[in-house]
Amino acid sequence: MDNSITTQAVTFDVFRFNSETDYLPYYKKYTLEVTSEEVVLDILNRIKWEHDGSFSYRRSCRHGICGACAIKVNGKGVLACKERMSDLIELFGTSMSIEPLSEKRAIKDMIVDKADFWDSHEKVKPYLVAQIDESPESENLVSVEEHEALLEADLCIQCGLCHYSCPSVEINDDYFGPAAFVAAYRFNADVRDSATVDRLEQINAPAQGVWDCVKCFECQEVCPKDINPIEKITKLHNMVFSEFVALDNVATRHAVGFASSIRKHGMLDEGELVRYSEGTIPMILKHGVVGLKMLKKGKVVPPWKMPKSDKLDEIQALVRSSSTAEF
Amino acid sequence: MSIPIHTYDAIIVGAGLAGCAAARELTEAGKRVAVLTKLHPLRSHSGAAQGGINAALSEEDSIELHEFDTVKGSDYLADQDAVELMCQKSPETIRWAEHMGAVFSRNDDGTIAQRPFGGQSSPRACFASDRTGLTLLQTMYEQALRSGVEFIDEWYVADIIYSDGKISGVVAYNIRNSDQAIYNAKAVMFATGGYARCFKISSNAHANTGDGLSIVARHGLPLEDMEFVQFHPSGLSGSGILISEAARGEGGRLLNSDGERFMERYAPSKLELASRDVVSRAIINEIREGRGVGPRKDAVYIDLVHLGKDKIMERLPELRDLAITFLGLDMIKEPILISATAHYSMGGIPVDKDGHVRKNNSEFVEGFYAAGECACVSVHGANRLGANSVLEALLFGRHVGQTISNEIDQIDLRVACEDDAVTMQSELEAILSSDGTESVPKLRDLLQQSMTDNAGAFRTKEPLAKQIEIIKELKDRFNNIAIDDHSKIFNTDLQEAIELGHMLDYSLFIVESALARDESRGAHFREDFDTRDDEKFMKHTMAYMDKGGDITLEYMDVVAGKFEPQERIY
Repeated sequence: MDNSITTQAVTFDVFRFNSETDYLPYYKKYTLEVTSEEVVLDILNRIKWEHDGSFSYRRSCRHGICGACAIKVNGKGVLACKERMSDLIELFGTSMSIEPLSEKRAIKDMIVDKADFWDSHEKVKPYLVAQIDESPESENLVSVEEHEALLEADLCIQCGLCHYSCPSVEINDDYFGPAAFVAAYRFNADVRDSATVDRLEQINAPAQGVWDCVKCFECQEVCPKDINPIEKITKLHNMVFSEFVALDNVATRHAVGFASSIRKHGMLDEGELVRYSEGTIPMILKHGVVGLKMLKKGKVVPPWKMPKSDKLDEIQALVRSSSTAEF
Repeated sequence: MSIPIHTYDAIIVGAGLAGCAAARELTEAGKRVAVLTKLHPLRSHSGAAQGGINAALSEEDSIELHEFDTVKGSDYLADQDAVELMCQKSPETIRWAEHMGAVFSRNDDGTIAQRPFGGQSSPRACFASDRTGLTLLQTMYEQALRSGVEFIDEWYVADIIYSDGKISGVVAYNIRNSDQAIYNAKAVMFATGGYARCFKISSNAHANTGDGLSIVARHGLPLEDMEFVQFHPSGLSGSGILISEAARGEGGRLLNSDGERFMERYAPSKLELASRDVVSRAIINEIREGRGVGPRKDAVYIDLVHLGKDKIMERLPELRDLAITFLGLDMIKEPILISATAHYSMGGIPVDKDGHVRKNNSEFVEGFYAAGECACVSVHGANRLGANSVLEALLFGRHVGQTISNEIDQIDLRVACEDDAVTMQSELEAILSSDGTESVPKLRDLLQQSMTDNAGAFRTKEPLAKQIEIIKELKDRFNNIAIDDHSKIFNTDLQEAIELGHMLDYSLFIVESALARDESRGAHFREDFDTRDDEKFMKHTMAYMDKGGDITLEYMDVVAGKFEPQERIY
């Protein structure tokens, strides 16, 4: 930083849309001299303050804690006030697009309707459920380990980046999305809370729940606070079993089938996993034709030819020692 | 234009710590309450508080020491009845927040951990890593949600309905679509936050434009102690973004261009942990005398390298991240660049310790309450101690919520009518139809730069007098603005213009009050009157704006208590 501040010209292709007057969105180009000190929010401010006052976006705190200013730059989800322009220039060069988090939810320029995000959030009981002592004389004792069990889930700032980067949210309107699951985990992991089962019932339900996560890790990639939502989703998967709220459905059987395959063979028996998850008859009806073709081409191993790992006993011991849940 | 009138028992404006805490109390007491905010509640600036929240919890500490430190820190301008209430209730308040879910850092025995902060006799700041405000704001919002509080977010409150010493609601419009509404209520509580956004180098959020203060002042009601604006010692060079006092609390050392730990000269006993005003002036003085560092030589170093990676990652991870983002410097490996930044508003809407808004030195406005940074209780007097602000917001937010709840049945609802919206409607119309030549961002920049230059941490008569003329000129130019956006959807251009109008109004209060205070006390430092003058100025400033925009000053006695004024040495 003792070295000098540098500048370079960058061209921004900016998504513009006003739902009151525009039938379709359009893009407008702005070329600005960008300094090595600036973050994306500085660029948004300069477009508004120096070029077009009607350009609109949400922002408040300026330093990555209020969560208002999430947008996309060249398709990459960023918190505008925490993203250095110099990093983006290194990544994308001197030309980039600026777009809202979700184009189909755009109301005006960068501002999107986040109703679905907040609705999902509220459905997981995002608050500590406990009898509140209104004038306590002492605090609850929470050990350092118990405090650490939250895995920083309480640092989530509800910016919506993971939610609007999630492919399952994109195609499934019922799906709660990673941020809501982080909130569910944050309270379920809290020793002071007493609504674990209520929340698990919500997040275990088909379509809306954790089983619709496709494990693409996009949420982990995009989170500006390094919260790692998929880690919490995985923890919730486990809690569903450890708290005995698992339902006998295709999602949980998929998880159980996975584990039993590993226990049996030391590796994944893909054909058996489908049969186990979906049932024999539904499997034949749904995948029969494709399955036969795959068998013929050797793309899937028939049950009678399924090999076993060399050190199956060691793998089985590992599975036993790492299993936290019985099912 | 026809405008809907919604009726509630109480309306709260602002959804930060104070607003959420009050709303929960009222809802739990069965009152019909709504919270209006121009943001989403979780975007409120309470969430930006980093370092801690004070309570005398430990054996070595005591309520009385907390009171003494607060009064001494205030340079004896705090009202001691309010300080007493705050310090006595703080342990219970923090434990109550903990019971509601706040995620505090813990000691090995499971109790709430505490760290040292400036101006305090004992490690008293309870903390949640370096995101204390975030966990508290989230917790209050969550529990308010759980209680069923009605939040009306992204609505802009532009006016209060006030006449004959009584308030009966607010007038607002929906930022999303420009729909207007009157919120008619028996009680109104303002929890609208601080006003340090009128300075160029500021730690404050974009939203902290002090709207609530000038809304009140435009009705001829007073603002108290507006000259007292805290300049925090550690803002990041250039942006002014905050590096919490926790950085010094955990052991950060301040160094100038000679590598000298210069606080040894300014506060030999407390060093970096002297009161904020003392450290800020020391930093600015080092820079003024040519011992600044960084590309603009406008900063000093804070060195945390000796803490080691583990402690930095455990205690200050957010701060590290901020310095990397905004300076490209990693505090684990190298010192970072900081300088004083406008941070906290000690002044505000005058209230007594129960949150009743004052009409003048002896009367109150019926049905009107305020709490948090927008209010002047005054627990901070001329200078706030670190980790006392979230405490004030949370504690008085809750306390004032309880006050309203106890009093509301004795207040009669004055029924609102459509004419009550006229002031807001003409304000909006004036801005939307103005086709002048001035731009809002330009005028705002001129205001902020000139406030930093002329009414900052060091003040003298001539620059202050000049600043009054500058503000008056900017006000004239403001009448000749033109905005680009005339749409009804999220017209943030219009909103920024309204906010600038407020900033111009309350900035004049700051400067007029500062010019008249011929002494140095706490955050208000006059180079031409560099000592404290208790005889003349151990008083609160009460400033009033007339219809022509001119300010009249009166003074109000400080509420004395058990601590007699003494010289403030750290």
